[in-house]
Amino acid sequence: MSETPGIVWLASFPKSGNTWFRIFLANLAAGRDEPADINDLDERGGIASSRHEFEAATLLDSGLLPHADVDRLRRQVYERIAAETKAPRWIKVHDAYTLTEDGEPLLGRGAARAAIYLARDPRDVAVSLAHHNTTTIDAAIELMNRPDSALCRGRHGQPPQLRQQLLGWSGHVASWLEQTEVPVHLMRYEDMRADPARAFAAALGFAQRPASGEDIARAIRHADFAELQRQERERGFTERTSRTAPFFRAGEVGGWRRELNAEQVTALERAHAPMMARLGYELSQGAAEAAA
Amino acid sequence: MHSYRISGLAVASQLELLGAIDAPANDDAPDITVRLQSAPRTLAGGVAGGPNWEIEGERVLLRVPRVGRFLIEGGRHIGVELEPGATARDASLFVLGVSFGILLHQRGAMVLHGAAVARDGRALAICGASGDGKSTLATALCRAGFEFVADDICAVGLGDEGRPVVWPDGRQLKLWREAIERLGMAPDQGAAVRDGIEKYFIGPPATAMTPPRLTAIYVLGEARAPRPEGIEPLNLPDAMRALDLQAYRPAIRARIGSKPRNLAQSAAVLSHARTFRFERPRGFEHMDRLVAALAAHWDALGR
Repeated sequence: MSETPGIVWLASFPKSGNTWFRIFLANLAAGRDEPADINDLDERGGIASSRHEFEAATLLDSGLLPHADVDRLRRQVYERIAAETKAPRWIKVHDAYTLTEDGEPLLGRGAARAAIYLARDPRDVAVSLAHHNTTTIDAAIELMNRPDSALCRGRHGQPPQLRQQLLGWSGHVASWLEQTEVPVHLMRYEDMRADPARAFAAALGFAQRPASGEDIARAIRHADFAELQRQERERGFTERTSRTAPFFRAGEVGGWRRELNAEQVTALERAHAPMMARLGYELSQGAAEAAA
Repeated sequence: MHSYRISGLAVASQLELLGAIDAPANDDAPDITVRLQSAPRTLAGGVAGGPNWEIEGERVLLRVPRVGRFLIEGGRHIGVELEPGATARDASLFVLGVSFGILLHQRGAMVLHGAAVARDGRALAICGASGDGKSTLATALCRAGFEFVADDICAVGLGDEGRPVVWPDGRQLKLWREAIERLGMAPDQGAAVRDGIEKYFIGPPATAMTPPRLTAIYVLGEARAPRPEGIEPLNLPDAMRALDLQAYRPAIRARIGSKPRNLAQSAAVLSHARTFRFERPRGFEHMDRLVAALAAHWDALGR
């Protein structure tokens, strides 16, 4: 049985396990006895917000277009990829699920056949995001708490990616889980860590990507954090952005208890309590009392 | 009518082309005309090449949201119909950039996505993807004594004895505010390219008017582990592949069908010019060191 063609979005707020899952997919596709090279991943369908891909498709210099017009064209780019592709395309996306100023879905109408949405405890996201962006934890929290937050929004330089609206952490999750255009499967990072075979098999099943339990187990071994850290330590990782912190840090669940102070925990929990409850992330004792 | 000389071609334009350097017209008929006219919404019998453009024989129709439709015909004519509310000023950016790039492909030219600078009649080209820092590096080289030749659209022709030359693009550089500030170019900063976009025209630096000989092509990459910093020569097959990948907007070239011709041109270029990968770290703090390294490397190549 072969895989169904078409786009599957791998959607997440940054630092929620997207790259880990893509490396798992790459190892699954490679099906070899050795782990795939993290700097040479066949399965990299790229990221939806790639400036280079946008310009190659539209012929236009994105730096001369307002964000709203880039978004109008992005919709058409994905619809065209969907119409032309005869292969399965797993595409990473950090954009929240939004509409263009014309009221059309940014990610296209009828473009994708499924989406896997990866969510992670926002308190752990804050710690990981600060390391990744080499910022303070407070700056990471601001990016998560502001309902109008975005990546690559500044118009004073040219980052390699197009503007991506995040809408804050809760807004991001809600935008994906509440949209009705693309069937979406929620995969929590904590469940991926606790029982990867089960979590990944469910996601593959949802996306109609056939795989045997044996193949899944092997790809999980090859995408193990110790293996990824070994490769990054020995050769580096081209997707790393920080000059000091490794990309594959700890992948830890609950590390926030050690790394966030009480004010930071409260700031996150105040901003995101309803969505945290919805995803099953328990509020800490202090915040629960403060809320009561 | 406005007169310009762009990539070696005499242009007569009804629109003022923002960022193009005026050049007096002579008595000969212009090579290229640019007019405001009506343009179709779609090309009858055309094939969609991308989400916003289609091609039918020698005609290409390009749509730019809230700016206009651009009809590029036979390598000789660019027609523009403005969208309601759009300004000729905004449209001129897409005439001088992408429409001209398409037109050069229609003429069978070899067009690299890159910048070029020159000294003593010899040019080096810098290629790379959008956002890789081509214009910034070219500007820094001009600050270090090079002449500006071309930015973004780098048209390569064959001159005397089949030696490759770069046609000066006859345009002003455009730089982002961040680059202007970090390179200390504020005194040369001109108008913003568009409202709300902090990219500005830069007053023309010392500009090459006669086409300099192209002697080296540097393809930019980011030095990030596992890729070390350095300048490495490419062997002939890799250089051929690099020139192919660095073509301006390969998708339109593929539809126009000028790729085979470009491969022959690449072979001719590479019999006189050498190609290198230039892996370097991002960040303005490295700029002076990188400019010095690149200039020294290029000097050592000799004539």
